[in-house]
Amino acid sequence: MPLMRVSQRALLGSLCVVLLLAASGKASQPAEKLKPEEQKVIDYLVNDWGKDYSVTSVDVAMDALKMKQSDEARFRIGSYIKAHPELHEVIRRWGWVTLVLTPDEKLIARALINAARDGKPAPGVAEIARAVGVSESRVKRGLLMLEQYEILKKDSTVGGAGYKVMPRYLKWEPRLDFLFHKVRLASGRQFNTN
Amino acid sequence: MLLVSSKFANEKVTIDDSSPESTARIRVVFDKGKLASADPPTTVLFMGGG
Repeated sequence: MPLMRVSQRALLGSLCVVLLLAASGKASQPAEKLKPEEQKVIDYLVNDWGKDYSVTSVDVAMDALKMKQSDEARFRIGSYIKAHPELHEVIRRWGWVTLVLTPDEKLIARALINAARDGKPAPGVAEIARAVGVSESRVKRGLLMLEQYEILKKDSTVGGAGYKVMPRYLKWEPRLDFLFHKVRLASGRQFNTN
Repeated sequence: MLLVSSKFANEKVTIDDSSPESTARIRVVFDKGKLASADPPTTVLFMGGG
């Protein structure tokens, strides 16, 4: 019946509107609320990004603000940046990964990603530590951070450190990903550039 | 490089970087727009542009 078709269409349309509203409501919800000092890092970065080609990362901003660094605080701030690309064009252009990871974490990621891309066995913690020039405990913390950001996934079947790289990061701009260019001026100013 | 030779041409600038082919760290220091040091010494530096 034509009337039934109209009713079905109206119902379908209403369902679509409800789904769209639900989706937009979810997207507009703020990520975990930041502590006041963590919000200061966001404010610093939003003000810094784009100046002198700056793509300054969270760790550099925390240093500049003389804040005590902790993986937990960096992850909260980084997760906020990941969830809020509307904060600044730099996030949308260069990606949150560039902004939230430390140089050590980027190199740890690259050690695993390069091995996977080259078809080599996954490196172990000690091997990564030697390659990156950091302690094994630093590597373990870095692996945990990369897992929290869903760049790596725990998988004991891959051997080595026991993490596999999520597929999208294997296909991501080979040799141009997980880069950093940290600039330090004699004046004390530090920032990352693109 | 653009900043080193323009806005920061009168400053000492240290750049911490890495080899895109590996996990090797690179540190390059410029003083008043000129290369002062590169570590490791095998670092290949491309300067120029247009």
